[in-house]
Amino acid sequence: MNKVITINLGGTAYQLEEGGYDALRAYLETATARLQGNPDRDEIISDIERAIAEKFRALLGSYKTVVVTKEVAAVLAELGPIEADEGKAAEADAKGAGAPSGASGPKTEGEERAAWSSGPRRRLYRIHEGAMLSGVCNGIAAYVNLDPTIVRLGFVLLTMVWGTGVLLYLVMAVVVPEAHSPEEKAAAFGAPSTAQEFIRRAKQGYYEAMKGFPDRKARREWKRQFKREMRGWGTSFEREMRANADQWRRNWHGYWAEHAPVHPGVGFALPFLSLLHGALKILFICALVVLLTTGTVFGLALPANVPVWVAALLLFIAYGILVGPLKAARHACYWGGGRPGWAWPFVFLLDAVVWLAVVAALLWLALHYFPELREAVRTVPSLAHQAAADIRAWCKGK
Amino acid sequence: MSVNEKFSAIRKGLLEFLLLQIIAADKVYVADILKQLSATEFATQEGTLYPLLSKMRREGLLDYEWKESEAGPPRKYYELTEKGREQLRETLEYWGKINGTVKKLGQK
Repeated sequence: MNKVITINLGGTAYQLEEGGYDALRAYLETATARLQGNPDRDEIISDIERAIAEKFRALLGSYKTVVVTKEVAAVLAELGPIEADEGKAAEADAKGAGAPSGASGPKTEGEERAAWSSGPRRRLYRIHEGAMLSGVCNGIAAYVNLDPTIVRLGFVLLTMVWGTGVLLYLVMAVVVPEAHSPEEKAAAFGAPSTAQEFIRRAKQGYYEAMKGFPDRKARREWKRQFKREMRGWGTSFEREMRANADQWRRNWHGYWAEHAPVHPGVGFALPFLSLLHGALKILFICALVVLLTTGTVFGLALPANVPVWVAALLLFIAYGILVGPLKAARHACYWGGGRPGWAWPFVFLLDAVVWLAVVAALLWLALHYFPELREAVRTVPSLAHQAAADIRAWCKGK
Repeated sequence: MSVNEKFSAIRKGLLEFLLLQIIAADKVYVADILKQLSATEFATQEGTLYPLLSKMRREGLLDYEWKESEAGPPRKYYELTEKGREQLRETLEYWGKINGTVKKLGQK
């Protein structure tokens, strides 16, 4: 026995089972939302309603007066999702992209909170529209709410640190999924990230406290002190971290310098230590990117109450712990002492040659197995020109 | 990426052209259009068709009239306007040109 709900479609009453009614209402609501901004919205909706009515009519007879849930679902599947034309969708996307920064002003607190809780969760995607290579920078820019040009510059700067930028880019181009459907595009811009929400709340608390001071002078004094404290806390924390790191590094290096096996052959281990280090770095970047895109670490979902940034931090610490001894070992290979001086150039040469060989092999494999990459390499010269022009235009714009 | 996927954008773009052609032949309503398309590579659903038809009507390519039906609410029967016919003529000509290019290119 199921409850029946009577509805009016195009001037005729139809009786639907409750589940069917819910499905129909959800379908029409989605349709209305997708046609947002379309000048023909009302007409299209009434066309769709009439089409549904006609299909229901065909299902009913003198002994069958109720449309059951399964039939409603079948009719809706037959209709298919409402698809407005491409241009409109892209326009809406662009509007969505601008909204977080532009429209947040006039929004009231309640609306903003509603948008926060109901909006799609933000995910890292590659965004192809307006991309230069594969949309990685574009996607990151949407994820952290920045100008894509800044993200691109960041990658260029990172490249100067032992090529990390290029490595990171290639890994992300392969691992990060591209936003295809409108839902994915929405999620790429999505609800504000946890960090932003956190800052918003912190600020709110700050202003709440401000209200407590009746006198303007006292308020200003409190404000100044608050800022000074925050700054002082930040610097001391940073200094402490740096001192700790230095201490650790010194301990390791001292240990290895004393205990490294003094054997002429140890130099040959250097390239392999370097390789292991490189492999760990790639693994770490992959894991980090996967964590940001899917919220899982090596296929394991995070516990519900652990935010993504905490997981990222833990991952980073784990990487540091793994890599620390390796770094120290390499250091010991370089500076361990106790070997005849003439052998060193050969050890360094071996290290460099093995590295180059592995990088070349990886590049060859990548070019061989990813046709997209080959395509990208072919477009590099024109893209470089465009990038230069863009950066110039951006500098002028500022 | 299969050929089928690669051509999905082209199919989407051609749909409007096909609608012009179908509607030019006869006054039709949406179920007729769907039936004609269903046997082809261009099989479509109402969810796609209604927004497209509304857009074309807004652009003045087609118009409709209401007709009573015995199986439910009145139906919209679509027909081409003068502008729609003109566009169909132009598109057909252009399509012929594209077709020729596709066949000709690469042959020596």
